Amino acid sequence: MSGCPGSKTIDFSEKTVQEGSESGKRPSQLRQWPIQMHLVSPHAPYFQGKDVLLAADCTAFALGDFHKDYIKGKSIGIACPKLDTDQEVYVEKIKALIDEAKINTLTVIIMQVPCCFGLVQIAKEGAEKATRKIPVKQVVVGLEGNILSEDWI
Amino acid sequence: MENVLNKEIKKIIDTCPEVGKILEEFGIGCVPCSIGSCLLRDVVGIHNLNPQKESTLMYRIEKAIYPDRRISEPKVGLSKKSTPKKISYSPPVKKLVDEHVLIKRLLAMIPTIVDYVMTSIKVDKDLILRCVDFIRTYADKYHHMKEEDILFKYVDNNAEIIQVMYKDHDTGRGYVRQVVEGAERGNKNQIKENFLAYRELLTQHIKKEDEILYPWIDRQLTTTQVGEIFRKCNESDASAGNALPRKYEKFIVEIEELFLQEVTK
Repeated sequence: MSGCPGSKTIDFSEKTVQEGSESGKRPSQLRQWPIQMHLVSPHAPYFQGKDVLLAADCTAFALGDFHKDYIKGKSIGIACPKLDTDQEVYVEKIKALIDEAKINTLTVIIMQVPCCFGLVQIAKEGAEKATRKIPVKQVVVGLEGNILSEDWI
Repeated sequence: MENVLNKEIKKIIDTCPEVGKILEEFGIGCVPCSIGSCLLRDVVGIHNLNPQKESTLMYRIEKAIYPDRRISEPKVGLSKKSTPKKISYSPPVKKLVDEHVLIKRLLAMIPTIVDYVMTSIKVDKDLILRCVDFIRTYADKYHHMKEEDILFKYVDNNAEIIQVMYKDHDTGRGYVRQVVEGAERGNKNQIKENFLAYRELLTQHIKKEDEILYPWIDRQLTTTQVGEIFRKCNESDASAGNALPRKYEKFIVEIEELFLQEVTK
């Protein structure tokens, strides 16, 4: 297999290991709208002083417990570092979230594919441009929805 | 075994000294602890051993306390060593670990400073008081206060390990008072004994914090709490001013250069 790991075809539909429970309804933990990084405003009340999750689009589909483990208690912005245009806007928005919305922390959650690390670079750039300093965490999700790493950066 | 887990470690070691040896083999240094009132359960929990190592440790302890009891041995023992895990700190805790580096640089200089004091005709009171100023202002006020007023508030303040840390801070302050008294009186032995005791205490204290306490605290903190602690520590640093850490970094460089020259003369 060769080519871009971000877009190569992999089929794991035969995966049989199914841990966890399928019973019960899972309520959404989303507490805001909009969520796409081009659409959100750093001045929105739901960002003020909050813990913010900057999520690569695919992570929400890969992680079975995305709402429970990552959105709960946080405000969110989503983006795709591979396909989105005008990403310099994201850098400025992150800077504004830190300096103006005075967010508490920033967690960047990405897929393991190399192109996804571009979102971490955007977050780092925004954080470096900001005057305030806040803790930034990087979470890397495997293609089959497993957490590969979770580190403060 | 459940009731043993809830016993104070010192009492267990007093009754069965073999347990102390076993703990030491696993890198758990409870034997020299001056308090020893941590429960065995907490002692094991705080070290975050991997499950295989922990079950082997518990098996060995149970076997030492109840030699006649039939206990099945865990399948994987210590012979299969796991790779040592690199400690990863949250940003506010990392800042405290980084501050330890400057304190450790002073601790490293203490034997040389003590030698200098003992071989000088007259006690260099100014030098001693400048070292004390570093300890009281940088190590104690700037650094320890962030631990006591901010970080420790996020865990059970009554936990034995936190109480041990408070006790270490107090004991250290006592040694420093004695060093000052020695300098005022020109009593070289008083300076020597207390400076060296302070060095020994702080060396062990920092090791305990870097390797055991801070990772234990970090494991309990939520992301929100990490953000809060980071902000509070930054506010505390801002109130002290940027000039303070720079002043004491300069002091350490100065005495390192001074005593390095003395040694190479």
